[in-house]
Amino acid sequence: MSTTVTETADPSGSTAAGSDAAPARPRPELRSSRRKALAGSLANVSLAAYFAFSLIPIVFILALSLKSNADQTTTYLAFSPTFENYRTVLGIGDGGSSYVRFFLASLVTSVGAVLVSLAIGIPAAYAAARYRFRGSEDLLFTLLSFRFAPELAVIIPLSVIYQQLGLYDTFVGMIWVLQLVTMPLVVWILRSFFQDLPAELEEAALLDGYTRRQAFFKTVLPLVRPGIAAVSLLAFIFAWNNFIFPFTLTSSNAQTVTVSSLAFLGGNQVQFNLVAAGVVMAALPPLVLALFIQRYLVRGLSFGAVKS
Amino acid sequence: MSDLAIRDLRKTYRTKGRPEVHAVRGFDLEVDSGELVGLLGPSGCGKSTTLRMIAGLEDATSGDIRVGSSSVVGLPPQRRNIGVAFENYALYPPLSVSENIAFGLRARGKGDRKKRVADVAHRIGLTDILDATPVGLSSGQKQRVALARAIVRRPDVLLLDEPLSHLDAGQRDTTRRELRHLQQELGYTTILVIHDQEEALSLADRVVVMNDGVVQQVGTPDEIYDDPMNLFVARFVGEPPMNLLDGAHQADGTVRLSTETRVAVGDVPDAVGPVVLGVRPEDVVLAGEADADVSGVVVVYENLLEHGLLTVELPGAEERIVAQTAPGLGLEPGREVSLALRRDRTYLFSAETGRRVR
Repeated sequence: MSTTVTETADPSGSTAAGSDAAPARPRPELRSSRRKALAGSLANVSLAAYFAFSLIPIVFILALSLKSNADQTTTYLAFSPTFENYRTVLGIGDGGSSYVRFFLASLVTSVGAVLVSLAIGIPAAYAAARYRFRGSEDLLFTLLSFRFAPELAVIIPLSVIYQQLGLYDTFVGMIWVLQLVTMPLVVWILRSFFQDLPAELEEAALLDGYTRRQAFFKTVLPLVRPGIAAVSLLAFIFAWNNFIFPFTLTSSNAQTVTVSSLAFLGGNQVQFNLVAAGVVMAALPPLVLALFIQRYLVRGLSFGAVKS
Repeated sequence: MSDLAIRDLRKTYRTKGRPEVHAVRGFDLEVDSGELVGLLGPSGCGKSTTLRMIAGLEDATSGDIRVGSSSVVGLPPQRRNIGVAFENYALYPPLSVSENIAFGLRARGKGDRKKRVADVAHRIGLTDILDATPVGLSSGQKQRVALARAIVRRPDVLLLDEPLSHLDAGQRDTTRRELRHLQQELGYTTILVIHDQEEALSLADRVVVMNDGVVQQVGTPDEIYDDPMNLFVARFVGEPPMNLLDGAHQADGTVRLSTETRVAVGDVPDAVGPVVLGVRPEDVVLAGEADADVSGVVVVYENLLEHGLLTVELPGAEERIVAQTAPGLGLEPGREVSLALRRDRTYLFSAETGRRVR
């Protein structure tokens, strides 16, 4: 702050001392551009600080995953890194471990949940955007309420129901329950994408001789593709990260990697370094997906700019 | 190109628990082949609903729409062969201009696509921008692409929805002229929806003035302007708007605007009673005291360079009267002036029904 004050005070002093032929005209511009540059660099510094701050847990968990059992409770970064934790978690040289199976279970349930949500959610979002029917708003709000109602509130009755129906610890059951997480996202986000598209695009196609179905597939659907990519990724991350549903509704067969990482924190030993290795590997799929979809993601989030 | 006949077309929206909305009530119109008819009215008057019913995008509640000799009522839009250029152009952002134009031909599997696109582009002056995408085009260019897309399939009837509303003032004038020229050259039977009365009158062969779902008047632009059938048309058409002064028609052939002001209008059958006297500002002229119909006090004089607008307060009358005068008169507020109304261009409307009585 003090620098800005001297900065602004200085020019007025110098013009008073200088010749009267050159008035203080260009000075305010200079001042404001200097202030702008200062504000810009200030923003950069605070952004960098925030970046570093948010990086701490990632660095910490990465470091922890490379530490030996002896080092695991220390917080310093000077240690001799070892890949032993990863070998243990994956069961390399040990005839394999169940981690890989849980990892695959996570993949199956998350991808499955997203696919089911897309298959049902895309038509639902389109209908919600284009048609008003009795109870349409109520229906959408109910769907949204799945997102803000605490999952813990439903988990006990759900687990009883699941036991009774034989859905406990099955992939079908997991994919079904994850719809609570993914479906509202898909419907609400895609609905606004559909709403952004003028109905005339389809109507023009109808007049051109396309059927209702063709008009949808040829005009509307390609235009919301960035939106579908973005929402798929978001839904996948939410489904992948979900802990409470697999924790309560699965035991072994359909258990996901989020829950199974806990297995290293039990019995007679608490092995944070093994948990860290499991967590780092578990973080990879969303990361890789995000990198691939990034292009669509940016386009999807700035979609409004395409409209005429 | 076919003629179009619409009989007693109605559209009623029914929602449970709400009163019915009569968007269009009894629309009748015959359009000759090659004619350009403008649907004019304020927003919400039913003109767009009528257009959408003709296109088949909206079901008609009752009535008949005939293109050529056959009725199209009940047919889906894809079987009507009607071209529409939408207000927001409805262009497809990822496709180039030529692909956009060809889009409609693909649906019907027309073989000579390239040739027809090139032909239409040439006529409408789009040849230079065929490879561009819609995002970078100006509004005028987008409008032309939308038009090209509508006519490339050679529709029987062409519908244009507010083709000028998104253009800026300069583009409006050129596009308007271009549109008129193109329509005449291509000879399409065309219906144009438009809310700007000036544009409607300058573009269309005939104008349908609508309000509140009801056709108010059908006629050539001259008829609409010179011969308004009711108060709504008189009020809606013309810029600056017509003077409409409340008064009472007297047995002696005058209209009493107030105790101090009377205007002689001559005999009008059945008009004794409350009336509205209508006269356009250009038919109100400054006059010597001997020829004056009314006199009053200048409220404001606006010098608009091409002409002047003089607002005068008539003693005792509620409404002020506006006269279109020569520019640069420099009339000070408060000055006494005398005005003459052109007798043959003075209208009388029944205050009760709004119908014109003379």
